[in-house]
Amino acid sequence: MKHSISIFWRDRENHYKLLITKCRNCGKSSYPKLKRCPYCGSTNVEVVESKGRGTLVNYTITYFRVDGSEAMLPKVIGLVKLDEGVKVPAEIVDVPDLSSLKPGLEVEAVLRKYSSDDPHGLIYYGLKFIPSIIKKQ
Amino acid sequence: MWGDGMLKAYIASVEMLKIDRHYDKSYVDMALEVIDAVLNGVGLTPSELDYIIVSTAFNSLLTHQVGSSYILAQYLGVKNVNVASVEAGEASGAAALDYAASLVKSGKASKVLVVGFEKMSEYPSWIVNREYSKILNYMVEGIKGVTPPDYAAIIMKEYMSKYNVTREDVFKWSVKMHENASKNPYAQLPFKISKDSYVKSLVMSDPITMHDSFPVGDGAAAALIVGDGFTNNAPKELVELVDVESSVNLPLYLREDLTVFEATAKSLSKLTSKHRVSVTKDMALNVYDTYNIYGLITLESLGVAERGKAHEVIDEMPYLNVGGGLKARGHPVGATPLYQLGELYKLMTEGFAGMKYDGEYGIIHSMSGPDNTSWLVLLRRCVR
Ligand SMILES: [Zn+2]
Repeated sequence: MKHSISIFWRDRENHYKLLITKCRNCGKSSYPKLKRCPYCGSTNVEVVESKGRGTLVNYTITYFRVDGSEAMLPKVIGLVKLDEGVKVPAEIVDVPDLSSLKPGLEVEAVLRKYSSDDPHGLIYYGLKFIPSIIKKQ
Repeated sequence: MWGDGMLKAYIASVEMLKIDRHYDKSYVDMALEVIDAVLNGVGLTPSELDYIIVSTAFNSLLTHQVGSSYILAQYLGVKNVNVASVEAGEASGAAALDYAASLVKSGKASKVLVVGFEKMSEYPSWIVNREYSKILNYMVEGIKGVTPPDYAAIIMKEYMSKYNVTREDVFKWSVKMHENASKNPYAQLPFKISKDSYVKSLVMSDPITMHDSFPVGDGAAAALIVGDGFTNNAPKELVELVDVESSVNLPLYLREDLTVFEATAKSLSKLTSKHRVSVTKDMALNVYDTYNIYGLITLESLGVAERGKAHEVIDEMPYLNVGGGLKARGHPVGATPLYQLGELYKLMTEGFAGMKYDGEYGIIHSMSGPDNTSWLVLLRRCVR
C-alpha cells in the first residue's frame, strides 16, 4: 500500500517502539502511545516502553489481498498479549511451520519491512513478531 | 398531531435496487433510480423535498467523488433543498436515519429523503479490500496490514473455543441467511447453500471463507421520512421511525472479552431506558452480519440468546434478517441500513419475502467493524 511519508514519519515512535500508555487515574494500560486513556478518558497518563515479549492470544492465516501482489500471502495476523498485560495487533513472521502456531505461543517483537512505494520509493519499517523459539536457536 | 405532543417521524416509502455488480450503472444512475421510484410512488416532485441526506462510506475513495449530495441534487434539478452526506463507517445509513428523524421530530423539516448507495465494483477486489479495510484504525491496524476479516477470524476462533461451539454451528447462520435471501428479489445471492459449503469455499482469513462473509456488490436504496402532515393520505398501516441510538466500543485489541459486542448492548440499554421495548425471538430484527460470527454475537449482545448459544435459537426466530442479512442479501455499505429499513418496512406493511409481521416493534442493528460503533433503529407499527 502507498503510505504518506509525513503520516508515517509523524508516528515513527509507535512504529519503531512498542509503547504502552499507563493510566494513573484508572490503573489500566493500553496501546499504543496515547495522550488520553481509552478506558476512562483521563489525560493523567505515562508512557513506558514494552520489553517486546509476549504470547499469542489468537491468530489467523490470511489470504485477503490488500495490495496488488500475492507474493506475501498467506500472512499470519495475530493478537499478542505483551508481558506487560496489553494486547497488540500484529503480523507474525518467520513461522517455520504454520501448524506450530497456537494460542499461548511465546513471541517477541522485531523490526521488519511493512511495505514500500514501488518501484523506487520509500521503504516503510515497523514492528512485527516472531516466535521466540526462532531467536533461541 | 398524535400522542404526547412531540412531533413524530414516519416512513412514507422505501425503494431498493437489486444488489449486484452493476457495471452498467454509475453511483448517480443507481441513486437516481431509487429516488425516482420513491418520489413517483408517493406523488412528490424533487422540488418538494426539504432535505436530501446521502449515506455513503466509500464514494470518495472508490468513485473519486466528494460531496455527492449536491451532485445528486444538481442531477435532480433542485436548488431550494438542504443537502448533506452522513458518514459513520459501515453504519453510515443508520446515522443518516438518525439525522432524518431528528429533523422531522424537531419540526425543522417534514419531507426528508435519505438515499444510501455504494459502488463497490469499480476496481479489482484487492483495491476494494484495501479501501474497505480503512474502517479500522489506519494508524494502528491498517498500516500493519491488519484487515476486517482477520479480526472476524480471530473472534470466531476465540468464540468457538470459549463456548465449545463447532464450525458447523457457526455456519448455521450462513445457511439461514441464504435461505432467507432466496425469497428476496433484491438480494445479491438469492440461492440456498448446503450446511457444509464452507469446506470448499475460498479462504479469506482462516477460518473465515467467502461463505462466512458478505459479498462485494453495488446497491442503492432510498427512504422518505415524513412528519404528521404528510401521513393524511397514507395507507392504513404506518411505520413510525421512533428513535435511533448508538454507542462506541474500544478497538478490538483493547477489549477484555473478544466475544461480546458491548456497544451493541449499550445502545440497547439506551433505547430500552427511553422506550418500553425488549428484543425477543419473535420480533422483526435485522442485524449486521458482515461475518456469520458477528450475527451470532450480536444476538447474544442484544440479549436474545445466552452467550455461546445463539446458533441454537436462530431457527426459533421467524423474522430474523428476512432479506438474508449482509451475508446473502449483500452489503453495499452506505446503503445497507436502508435495505434493512426497506425489508422491515415492507414486512410490517405490505409483506416481504412471503411473510407479514404483525408485532408492534421492529429493530435494525448496524455497526462498523466488529462493534467499533453500533447503532439501533427502533420502528413501530401504527394502525390508523
Ligand atoms: Zn484510565
